[in-house]
Amino acid sequence: MSMPATDKTASQRLSVFGLCLLAVCLLLFSPLVDAEEKSARELPGVKVFNPAAELWRDVRQREAPVSGKTQVGGVETGVLINATGDRWRQFRMDELIPVGGYVIGAIIVLLLIFYMVRGRVPIEGGASDRKLPRYTTYERMVHWFIASVFLFLAITGLILLFGRPMLIPLFGKEGFSIIASACKEGHNLMGPLFLLALVMVFFQFVRRNIYQKGDLTWLLRGGGIIGKKHVPSNFFNMGEKTMFWLLVFVGSLIGISGLVLVFPVLGLGREFMALAHVGHAIGALLMIAVIIGHIYIGTVGMEGAIEGMKTGYCDLNWAKEHHDLWATKAIDQGEAMSNEAVASLNGEKTSTAPPGATIQGAGK
Amino acid sequence: MARMKFYCDPERCIECNACVTACKNENEVPWGVNRRRVVTIKDGEPGERSLSVACMHCSDAPCATVCPVDCFYTTQDGVVLHDKDICIGCGYCFYACPFGAPQFPEDGAFATRGKMDKCTFCAGGPEADHSADEHRKYGSNRLAEGKLPLCAEMCSTKALLAGDANVISDVYRKRIINRGAAVLARGVSYRDASFRAPRSTGGKSSSQE
Repeated sequence: MSMPATDKTASQRLSVFGLCLLAVCLLLFSPLVDAEEKSARELPGVKVFNPAAELWRDVRQREAPVSGKTQVGGVETGVLINATGDRWRQFRMDELIPVGGYVIGAIIVLLLIFYMVRGRVPIEGGASDRKLPRYTTYERMVHWFIASVFLFLAITGLILLFGRPMLIPLFGKEGFSIIASACKEGHNLMGPLFLLALVMVFFQFVRRNIYQKGDLTWLLRGGGIIGKKHVPSNFFNMGEKTMFWLLVFVGSLIGISGLVLVFPVLGLGREFMALAHVGHAIGALLMIAVIIGHIYIGTVGMEGAIEGMKTGYCDLNWAKEHHDLWATKAIDQGEAMSNEAVASLNGEKTSTAPPGATIQGAGK
Repeated sequence: MARMKFYCDPERCIECNACVTACKNENEVPWGVNRRRVVTIKDGEPGERSLSVACMHCSDAPCATVCPVDCFYTTQDGVVLHDKDICIGCGYCFYACPFGAPQFPEDGAFATRGKMDKCTFCAGGPEADHSADEHRKYGSNRLAEGKLPLCAEMCSTKALLAGDANVISDVYRKRIINRGAAVLARGVSYRDASFRAPRSTGGKSSSQE
């Protein structure tokens, strides 16, 4: 009784084991069988594409730029839809105009606050009776040349940028169109002069604008803005040098991108021209912000700062306070002149015009 | 009012360029400008398709958004037009337009930048209808005569449709229903075959072994 029972159980166990083995085998190999069957069934060309979707994907250039053929000549005429224009629209309308406006506004407000807090930086020793020759006639001419061209380009450019939200409500569309048209023509015609002026400025001032020892100290001490102490510096201080190099590099970027924008006939295409516009706009706004600061220091911000560029001579005490390394050297070389001598050299009639203490540096 | 649109049916366009020529002739378009052009994608390959493109008269036109003098306006018919008396020829609409519709006529200083020119949907400009000024600046005003743009009117295969958006989308939808279902069911790819392939090949020419 027990034997067959045991036999039965053993055979039952065996068959159960066999079934399990079979099931495991099936489970193990079934994906392979399935995959083989699948690949055998998948013939090329059976994949269902939406033909229209594929065409429009190419038209919209979703995967890769697709340029078709066309009988119409011109730049990019084979491109059906160029989506970069939309990115550019977003940049100009949502980023450039609001952010640019805030940047320019913020610079002006900050300078106003700074002026109210700090006030006009005086010549501490007071105006002296002697002057140092600072800029030659040619240097002053180059400076005012680039200054007037820059101001003209900045104002016309800002009118074109902010005119629609700010000036159309004032002048109406027709009126603003006349202003904008004049601005655009003037901007395009004067633009190349800026590059010429930039080259002249570069060669005239580059030697005195190379960074040297002491510039880092000037930077670390904030150029003397914080506190009352003046920081020693040479002919140009670190701030002026930085402005010079900004003008050289950012100015070149503005000038060259401007040339790209003036000549659409060069056939550079929409994408490149939109990129040139982005560089032109960002560079120009940066330079305008820097120049607003430059004008502030030159006019209301500091006593005696504009004198050198106006007359060619600067006050001796001003030179000692702001550019002492250069001033000491110049005084050592005997370049200091009396106010009367300078006045007579500038052609001003004075009752007593004795020759200056030393005139040897006058021609420089 | 109607909202005017163009639609080009790529299954019908045969790249004959008649729309380009018709537009140039009807509107006396300035030298160097083509308000309409036909572009062929995959030229000479299976799945070649042609499309005629001009100003699409967008409902929210990017050209109008970026214009620094705000010279664009949308008519009651939904046609995007621009005022050449206000336009200063800065070219911003040329950068912003995805379709390359606004173009520079080469008559400015150094033959570079004149006032922009673009498709008017044969609707003239802001001047009085059919005035000499309007014709000189913008070309003909067929819409005022109750006619549709000439490019679409004379399209030989009726690939280019122009008119109220609801009407032309209805026309196009009916075409799709008639032709599309069978082809989609057979699974013919635009890359691999042509809709115009004969029925004997089952609509798939290159993919079948």
